[in-house]
Amino acid sequence: MAALTLAFARYTSCSGCQLMLVNCEEQLAALAGMVDCHGFDLVSSAPGDDLAVAVALVEGSISTPAELEALLALRERAEFLVAVGACALSGGINALAVTGRDEARGTFPPQPVRRFVRVDWDIPGCPPERSDFLALLAALPRGGWPGRLECAVCMECRIRENRCLLLEDRLPCLGPVTRSGCLARCPSVGVICEGCRGEVAEAHRDEVFRLLAERGLAVREVRRRLERFRGGSHG
Amino acid sequence: MAKVVLQPLTRVEGHGRVELYLDEGRLQAVRLALVESPRLFEKLVVGRAAVEVPDLVCRICAICSAVHKLAALTALEQAMAIEVPPQARQVRELLLLGGHLQSHALHLFCLILPDFTGRTSLLELLRENDELARAGLELKAFGNRLQEVAGGRVIHPVNPVLGGVMRAPSAAELQALRCEVATWLRRWPAIAARFAETARYPEAAAVVGTPLSTGGGLGFALAGERLYLPGGDSRRAGEYAELLGEQAVAHSRAKQATGADGPFLVGALARLTLLAGRTPGYAGPGRGEGIHGNNAAQLWEIGWALRQVSALLDALAAAPAGAALRTAASAVQPGCGTALFEAPRGLLVHHYVVDDWGQVAVADIVTPTAINQRAMERQLHADLAGIASEAELRLAAEKIVRAYDPCISCAVHVLQC
Repeated sequence: MAALTLAFARYTSCSGCQLMLVNCEEQLAALAGMVDCHGFDLVSSAPGDDLAVAVALVEGSISTPAELEALLALRERAEFLVAVGACALSGGINALAVTGRDEARGTFPPQPVRRFVRVDWDIPGCPPERSDFLALLAALPRGGWPGRLECAVCMECRIRENRCLLLEDRLPCLGPVTRSGCLARCPSVGVICEGCRGEVAEAHRDEVFRLLAERGLAVREVRRRLERFRGGSHG
Repeated sequence: MAKVVLQPLTRVEGHGRVELYLDEGRLQAVRLALVESPRLFEKLVVGRAAVEVPDLVCRICAICSAVHKLAALTALEQAMAIEVPPQARQVRELLLLGGHLQSHALHLFCLILPDFTGRTSLLELLRENDELARAGLELKAFGNRLQEVAGGRVIHPVNPVLGGVMRAPSAAELQALRCEVATWLRRWPAIAARFAETARYPEAAAVVGTPLSTGGGLGFALAGERLYLPGGDSRRAGEYAELLGEQAVAHSRAKQATGADGPFLVGALARLTLLAGRTPGYAGPGRGEGIHGNNAAQLWEIGWALRQVSALLDALAAAPAGAALRTAASAVQPGCGTALFEAPRGLLVHHYVVDDWGQVAVADIVTPTAINQRAMERQLHADLAGIASEAELRLAAEKIVRAYDPCISCAVHVLQC
């Protein structure tokens, strides 16, 4: 099988998505054998930033004209573009701080990458799951996308037979409105879901809003929690 | 004047640029620009409930997310007078050490190691089945396992919360980790020796900057209450701003710590320099190694961290079942708190003021790479002064920047609005 050519670019973010790929320690040797990096600065000094690639992974939101230019150039040279992580998908935590253009610094409010380019696949989460990277990189050379079943985090909590933090412990858990795929990682250690994988399709926001408000949170707090991974007020 | 620009800097965390100004082949000036997009964390947390803030600020940086979370929690707990139960402190320390191990292993075995044999990346080494690279990755995985058990997940940990932690490791998890750390304590000396033999550093100038760390004066620890300087000098945590003298500079998106007596140096080399003569098995920086001695210091710290982890796991295994893990929230108390931590790359300061409503009113976060910036510029100048060829300059400059193990996404959020 020919090597899968790959670029992994990073814009406004924390490097966590790139680090999570390097955190696949057990699979890295196998990945090294099947992947050719053309632009993955955290890991490789090999040149190739201008070569065509089969897949471009993108971490981070877009908040400067230079980042936008780089993203457009990356889209040009990539057959498929994959948005990775909450910042690329929604603007992420960054979007909570910046609300206007900053002429002096030449920045604008952090934007999700799909606002500017076609996105062929996404890997959600802050941080993303290793298994999502591995499934994607295994499927691509075989000419397909990984299969996935999308439901709310609550379903995974049920499967793991976790105690319900929302109903039983009356804590403001966002499991009911959040995309699954993390195997309910946080509720499984007794921590409420903060919604880092973004909103599940057909989320029942009104109902969750009501449940959270009933838990004693002020309306403003409920909004803030629901907003954390939705791109602030611009989502 | 000719200008040589290095961008992107590779095999470092974050986006940076080095500008070298040459006049008739002689180096005249060096500029290091940290060019990450501003993320304004100190602004975004103002007006938010203190309980929410550690979840937000750990997103400053992935590699250091554990220490950011713990520094934020510690400063806020100090501000709000919240006690943390002893067993919760131990779980947090395990998380901190796991983060330290993973970060050092990443830097030494994944980012630096390819330089010794002229390779461009870890992936090349793995294709060649390089034994050191493989061993380093296994160590990195162990650090991550510690973070996963103690923190709930490897990046942006969720287990530590205001007042303590949500859960302690189970007996089975502790048993597995104790077996693993025992193996590592046996394996590590040979791996460290092999790394030291393989290491090839260019001839380097003397280290620039006044060493600064916390913890160092109280024995070796990754958190402390005072700032330690050479010659037995030390300052209270609250004096950090005055000591560091941070300033915004036009060419970089991060504030620089200038200090009254020149730049500061933080990180493994600074920590161990301040402990000179009191660290068994650490020979000090090698002759002519200069700033590359930071890598040797990190190597020593890995052995130290493994011993700490082993003792901590024993203590956790012996702890009584059902001990308190977190203090229940009481009435909101306003106040201010300053936490000093040693992140893998050096001193990290989190400072908060909490208001009457339990919201953050002021936040100030000083990161290691922001402190090191000025020293890095001067070190580059000192080390590169004798080099004339552009290709050599580029190679040498990148290696010097890499030696600091900079964390640039950490450094730039400090820009004020």
